[in-house]
Amino acid sequence: MSSATDVRRAVGDWADTKRRIAGLAVLAAVVLWALVGVVLPSSAVGGAFWWTLGLTADAVRIGTRESTIRAALRLSVPIGFAALGGIFAEKSGVINIGLEGLLIISAFTGVLVTDLLGPGTGWLLVPAIGPLPAIAMPSIWIGFLAAVLASTLLALLFAVVCIEFRADQIIAGLAVWLIALGLAPFASRVVYGTVNSDGVGTLGTWTVPGLSALPVVGPILFQAAPTVLMLLVAVPASWYLLNRTTFGRWVRASGENPKALDTAGVSVHRVRYAGVLLSGVLSGIGGAGLSLGHVGLFIGNGQTMVNGKGFIAITAYLFGNYNPFGAFGASVLFAGLDALQIRLQQLPAYDIPESLVQTIPFVTVIVALVLVGRTRLPAAAGEHYESGEE
Amino acid sequence: MSEPAVVMEGITKRFPGVVANDAVDFRVERGTVHALLGENGAGKTTLMNVLYGLYDPDAGRILVDGEERSFDTPRDAIDAGVGMIHQHFMLVDPMTVAENVVLGNEPSKWFGLAVDRERATREVRELAEAYGFDVDPTATIEEESVGVQQRVEILKALYRGADVLILDEPTAVLTPQEVEDLFAVLEELTAEGKTVVFITHKLGEAMEAADDITVLRDGEAVGTVPAAETTREELAELMVGREVLLEVDSDPARPGDVALAAEGIRVEDHRGVDVVDGVDFSVREGEVFGIAGVDGNGQAELVEAITGMRVPDDGTVGFLGVDVTRASRRERIDAGMAYVPEDRQERGLVMDFDLVENGLLGSQHSPPFASGGVIDWDRSRDHAEAVIETFDVRPGDPDAEAESLSGGNQQKFVVGREFSRDPALIVASHPTRGVDIGSIEFIHRQLLEMRDDGRAVVLVSSKLDEVRQLSDRLAVMYEGEFVGTVDPDAVSEEELGLLMAGERPDGVEDLTVPVSPGPGDGEGDRAPEVTGPAGSDGPGPVGTTTNEDAVAAPGSDGSERLDEGEPSDGDAGESEDVGTPTPDEGSDAGATRRGDEE
Repeated sequence: MSSATDVRRAVGDWADTKRRIAGLAVLAAVVLWALVGVVLPSSAVGGAFWWTLGLTADAVRIGTRESTIRAALRLSVPIGFAALGGIFAEKSGVINIGLEGLLIISAFTGVLVTDLLGPGTGWLLVPAIGPLPAIAMPSIWIGFLAAVLASTLLALLFAVVCIEFRADQIIAGLAVWLIALGLAPFASRVVYGTVNSDGVGTLGTWTVPGLSALPVVGPILFQAAPTVLMLLVAVPASWYLLNRTTFGRWVRASGENPKALDTAGVSVHRVRYAGVLLSGVLSGIGGAGLSLGHVGLFIGNGQTMVNGKGFIAITAYLFGNYNPFGAFGASVLFAGLDALQIRLQQLPAYDIPESLVQTIPFVTVIVALVLVGRTRLPAAAGEHYESGEE
Repeated sequence: MSEPAVVMEGITKRFPGVVANDAVDFRVERGTVHALLGENGAGKTTLMNVLYGLYDPDAGRILVDGEERSFDTPRDAIDAGVGMIHQHFMLVDPMTVAENVVLGNEPSKWFGLAVDRERATREVRELAEAYGFDVDPTATIEEESVGVQQRVEILKALYRGADVLILDEPTAVLTPQEVEDLFAVLEELTAEGKTVVFITHKLGEAMEAADDITVLRDGEAVGTVPAAETTREELAELMVGREVLLEVDSDPARPGDVALAAEGIRVEDHRGVDVVDGVDFSVREGEVFGIAGVDGNGQAELVEAITGMRVPDDGTVGFLGVDVTRASRRERIDAGMAYVPEDRQERGLVMDFDLVENGLLGSQHSPPFASGGVIDWDRSRDHAEAVIETFDVRPGDPDAEAESLSGGNQQKFVVGREFSRDPALIVASHPTRGVDIGSIEFIHRQLLEMRDDGRAVVLVSSKLDEVRQLSDRLAVMYEGEFVGTVDPDAVSEEELGLLMAGERPDGVEDLTVPVSPGPGDGEGDRAPEVTGPAGSDGPGPVGTTTNEDAVAAPGSDGSERLDEGEPSDGDAGESEDVGTPTPDEGSDAGATRRGDEE
């Protein structure tokens, strides 16, 4: 049609070609490696080939076990929820790299509130708050809600600082992480005398009637921790919210061209607050899902029990190109690699350092970005927007 | 006559340190096209932003359809039927046309749980058809040309029920063909009873498209005239507040030694295609060498090769007798080569630096501004103040960030900084692009002064009148080559149009060989192929030849390429940034060519 488009297309073609060449080069290298393995099995390179082949076979064998898959789903709860939250924040134009901090604060708050209320399965009466009627609920679920509230409040602080006071989003996001990283273990030490909390039990298992009877997937997907089931609902719900509703349109416009949204009469600030608060709510569910849904206590050693899952969440949604389904897939993949790694460590043949395995998500993202190259950041992500300024 | 569509009375808007609008009265009749004309910084956009609710006026009142209104937000203005199409489109690139049009007013279904996409697409299609717009509602914005994007913006306003449409500099981003289309759209709109206000600093457009013209100067409305009853001269005088010389008089050049000698310059783009394909020329001290052509024919790359922004793939650049082909920018600046870049915001200025810092750019490492790696800020400030003073940059505050200046003033500052280097050669690329009339005249005078001062000037522009007026010799570039180098006073616009389309008309003298003070000049032996064996004719004060072979050669095989390059061809004109001043010239050129063929 137009020549500008042709040029862009030509450039795109060339980028595709480069990617194809890179893909072929990787393939050729693998084939060459296999050849060396066949011809010279005792050489270092050849030996490494057979070792890798064995590892792959073991990985497939262990990775397809039901227990591994269940573990992968469980581990994907914090990553997946934080990734969904990150999508909403970043699509609205606010890069929230404080997801890690939101996970930490909610993981701890959930345990703390449950413990203060008295752990166990006793039901507590929640008094009426405003228009909400009084209801009875187990203490651990009140703790769960408190976790979501804590994460949302921290996200609100982040939003105010970024949107109202025009702070740099990256620095403010790092601050959120560092605040949570310091605050949660400190509070734990004050309450429990150590950075690790007491055990408070878990949310248990929910069984979805009917669906859990399905062969193969039934027991894995529909007889699981409540937070796993919530994630399975949250992924399509997020996709729908983002792609089919008016709110989702506004979120996307706010991140791509906030001025377009502003001149259309929609407040960019409000949309961005909503996006960031939503990231707080979702991360809160993820954090509580980690401590209350899975482990039953808060671990505050080192990087705390969250241990980089918030950052992996960022790579997960980038890997999934801001598509909730893609982000979920990436979360399960990364969580699965983690689950696999723990199990492979137990085999004597593979003494792989854990820290090496933990780099896999990040290496995967870089490789995928080079080979696939379709992740496209929202055009106005990270930029402050003020109505009425040129 | 019925109630005016818009009346603004005594509108005053102040910004810190500036009165952008000073008690402006503005009145637009229903169903008319009204041009708001003024130089950059005259307050046109501010006035319209007040009307659209983006700014709160400090004083004054607004009546729409005879009813007093106050708009706090664009939403209020939209509700009152006022829509605005901004200069920079407010579109979300990855979304579709329909999604953009309904943004903020999405039709919903299932009790608001989902956007009714079918209805949105249908409504937008119906609206487009009602006004005869050729727009596909399901295409994404990034796939569409600028002209279509502008129509989407108009649809956005219409979808919101706008009766009054404000267009901010709507032609700035369009090709001449698209401008014609836009004017047809405006006519369609007023025929349907809509009222159009468009902001412009171009006299010709205001006279062509508008029914009435209101002129703003320094924030004040200086007059409203019917377009049919005014003249360019009257409008120009209203805009600038004094008589404007639309033509610059210049003395004949007194060329001296060769300052710049480019030989066989070839530049490949990132795809490996030759965008500059063997260009030779030389420029003497005391002459202006113009390079004309439709944008995108290799001028930008040629300038980059000369100024050191890139190393040519072939050929040499000689500057004052030294080979500088691989010399860095810094070496070239130090040797006396000044460069006014095409894109002042991208290359000419650091937008969030103040003028003191920007005035230092290019000189930050050398005396007298720096010694031993330490910058002398007092001297830098004096320098910036001197540039501001000499080149009348407004506002004249050296601490102002470059960003806060209007485009014309940014350009004047860049030109001033470059001229103040005491250069032997100035390479000026589109020095008056996006600059208002008063500043254009000033920059032109400065360029000629530099020339008369014995400096060499290379002037690249796609404005024909500009290169014709200023150049002593004029090269026309087409598809990476110089199709001809001519005496700008001896050729007509039609002949230039033909050259720009890649064909040499009959009877045009070639001046590839510089006008030289005497024979025996080495440059004369190296003429580009297109001129034929020009070297044998020998250089002289006239130093030129009409070479029949050269005239015939490109014409015989050039007709195919010609169609591609011809601005009046709808296809090519739609997407390319065609730089010929008006489409009329393109069709004239085309007509001449067709006549020749018969």
